[in-house]
Amino acid sequence: MIKRLSDLEQYLRERNVKTRLVVVAAQDENVIEAVVKAKKTGIVDVTLVGNQKIIEDVFTQHNYDLSGMDIINEENNSLAGVTAVRLIKEKKAHILMNGQESYFGASLISKPILDKQNGIVKGKTMSHVAVFELENYHKLVAITDVAVNIAPDLKAKAAIISNAVFLMRRFGIETPKVAVLAAIEVVNDKMPATMDAAMLSKMAQRGQIKNCIIDGPLAFDNAISEKSALQKGIISEVSGDVDILLAPDIETAGTLYQSFMFFANAHVASITVGASAPVVLTTKLDTLETRFNSILLSASTYLT
Amino acid sequence: MITKLSDIFVKIGARKDRKKIAVVAAHDEHVLDAVTAATKQGIVDAVLVGDRERIREIADIHQFDISACEIIDEKENIDAAALAVRMIHEGTAHVLMKGLVDTPTFLRPILQREGGLRTGDILSSVAIFELKGYHKIFALTDGGLNIAPDLKTKVSILRNGVFFMNRLGIEMPKVAVLGALEFVNESMTATIDGALLSKMAQRGQLKHCIVDGPLSFDNAISAESARFKGIESEVAGDADILLAPNIETANVLYKSFVYLAKASPAAIIVGASVPVILTSRADSEVVKLNSISLAASVGMG
Repeated sequence: MIKRLSDLEQYLRERNVKTRLVVVAAQDENVIEAVVKAKKTGIVDVTLVGNQKIIEDVFTQHNYDLSGMDIINEENNSLAGVTAVRLIKEKKAHILMNGQESYFGASLISKPILDKQNGIVKGKTMSHVAVFELENYHKLVAITDVAVNIAPDLKAKAAIISNAVFLMRRFGIETPKVAVLAAIEVVNDKMPATMDAAMLSKMAQRGQIKNCIIDGPLAFDNAISEKSALQKGIISEVSGDVDILLAPDIETAGTLYQSFMFFANAHVASITVGASAPVVLTTKLDTLETRFNSILLSASTYLT
Repeated sequence: MITKLSDIFVKIGARKDRKKIAVVAAHDEHVLDAVTAATKQGIVDAVLVGDRERIREIADIHQFDISACEIIDEKENIDAAALAVRMIHEGTAHVLMKGLVDTPTFLRPILQREGGLRTGDILSSVAIFELKGYHKIFALTDGGLNIAPDLKTKVSILRNGVFFMNRLGIEMPKVAVLGALEFVNESMTATIDGALLSKMAQRGQLKHCIVDGPLSFDNAISAESARFKGIESEVAGDADILLAPNIETANVLYKSFVYLAKASPAAIIVGASVPVILTSRADSEVVKLNSISLAASVGMG
């Protein structure tokens, strides 16, 4: 079981993970920097789809090693997305990553991913998982979903949990503990988040959601601190030992994500799962470390 | 563990604190039969509120011994019901029973905000069963009053049931919230409520009980069946209270116990400050007598 994101590289190397990353619209300095670093680990090979000339210029300018990198020249960003998704579908690549970043994450590749004919989702729910290493928490903890599902219903929440459980199990956490967040820890029929939480708990108990322990509703403090839970008289296997925080909606998830980043000295890696390959969707606000970690996190989905 | 209905019936006999039952519209053959049997056995004292002449006639024809019963002549049902409730307030009667009067009229003075008898949010019906194939007595609720209870109403029904079982000395009754299946299914409200009520008990929103649901009936009463389905539950196979999702389910279950498993339950309305007996014509004399015995015994050591 790994407790730090910085342990990820060694963990993957020891397990001989070898994957190929394909970058869409790869003519982006930040992304190229991260990709070069990731390739050096030997865990990922790289295919860059984009404006070949700009890509090569970036490599020259920064003295990056181009050897062993595949470049497919495609100056139209939309078509670059289509090409990359095709490579995934043909199993010639295993991880998708957006290149040319915006401030809001890339919608550039979501279209070909979701395409009914040629896409790679196959009726499953895609969701975003951000894995955090926090100064004041004893292990990695995931937040989901800050990016894909806006106001998930019960079914979507169950699928989002399963996606996150799948990911956390790659790290050797056999039965991840999931806290379903709400504003309060009791069932209130005026607060749908608390009702969904109670149902998800029962669904895990009845084996409808597998390989995890779910408790909710839990307020954030009850989820993260056993002491706080006990003060409220909550006896829960999940309290204080949570692996996955399921937020009721994208606003809650996003705010929590940002608060971790700004106030908790957090390190983060985040990916989108649920398609036939993991997708790295970074933004301009992310750091090199986050991009690098996110690529390795994607590779970890190929751990058995 | 209480294995027999008769175990919860306190042997009252010559006790001075014997309770008095006020029968509303007592001019009814079946009710008089049960009430006079109960007074004869020393289970309760009785005050018969109703049409005095008809009460006497019925007693004559069927040779019911009403000599020990007080009779109050009141031919108007609504007034009879109000009078009986007043007697409860005055402490001159301790149990209410419905005679030949429609249920809404009988319940109206009980339900009144001012001068009524309600203690909980709602009244609900609880039937206590002793069945051959089950290792202890258990309660079924609500087969009588609440038609299609929503979550809030289920909470109240559950609280009433738990309160009643607590008073029978069952400290932490195990409540099975029945559904058609044991999984959470978004399109089946019963299963959703089952999950919600379980969590509410876990979080202390429902006290003095252990709740699990949704459970289908077989999982609720058979540990083996639950194991077979891979359900891990403290309640499965050991339920003290079966909370039905609606009146149809409870009613059909009640009648199947009575007709197919030859059970004679004791049924009572809870949620008021005193036990209320509201048996139906379809109930046997034994069920009526059991219900009177139960009402007379509640809260008596």
